Amino acid sequence: MECKVRTLANVVLIEVEGRIDHGTAPAFGSALLPHIEGCTGETKKLLLDLAAVNYMSSAGLRVLMIAAKGCRKQSGKMVLAALQPTIKEIFKIGRFDMVLETFATVREGLAAISPTAVALYDKG
Amino acid sequence: MAERMMSDRITAPTIDAVERCVRFAAAQAREAGFSLARVREIELVVEEVVANICRYSYGDRSGSVELSCERLDDASLTLEFIDYGRPFDILALPAPDLAVDLDQRDLGGVGVPMFRALVDHATYRREDLRNILRVIVHAAPRLRSDPTAR
Repeated sequence: MECKVRTLANVVLIEVEGRIDHGTAPAFGSALLPHIEGCTGETKKLLLDLAAVNYMSSAGLRVLMIAAKGCRKQSGKMVLAALQPTIKEIFKIGRFDMVLETFATVREGLAAISPTAVALYDKG
Repeated sequence: MAERMMSDRITAPTIDAVERCVRFAAAQAREAGFSLARVREIELVVEEVVANICRYSYGDRSGSVELSCERLDDASLTLEFIDYGRPFDILALPAPDLAVDLDQRDLGGVGVPMFRALVDHATYRREDLRNILRVIVHAAPRLRSDPTAR
């Protein structure tokens, strides 16, 4: 599991790659934690790009839930984008699709949460 | 690597049981010719079962988990999980409250519906102070997947 971080205006874009399982979930949680800090209102928002995540167990879902709750507590926004079909199905089983906002692509996610960030993204 | 040499059975201490059992079952499913999508689903099944055994059956005490794998035919595998902890039947766990409001949503409990969705048949029995969970998985994936996924 690896996380690459980019900042686009007021959005922190975290590109996650690999497996999020029992073994890697703690590292995933630690990688997210510093970005949740200060995630509030329009100041800072989080977008997790899950395009390169090919495996996620309940341990990974739990980390996402903790992160989303952390953001919500400080009136922040965290959204997810580009889930692989299997991960999308796993979200449905756990009804995570109802509690976490997901978008088909990173661009769609950015467009929904920050016009400035999507403009920067389009510029490349 | 060592577990492959033990043919169709592995005994793993709880400290790394999840990782070793997942690796073992994945190797068995690949060997049986299952698709990558179904191998990943079986990995999820094994991860959820073994993590629950470590947490609930052993209550985070140390112990061991045995996993045996038997090929029934070209299209199915039987996975048998044995542990020596307190009575624990994953099949009897109540369905978690998957509330759709984030604030009310509990952090745990997702592993069990995931397990139920991914297996084709499962039975539990308590015998000679052992928990024995027998699971049958067919080759056909239960979830929709991307055939080009890697």
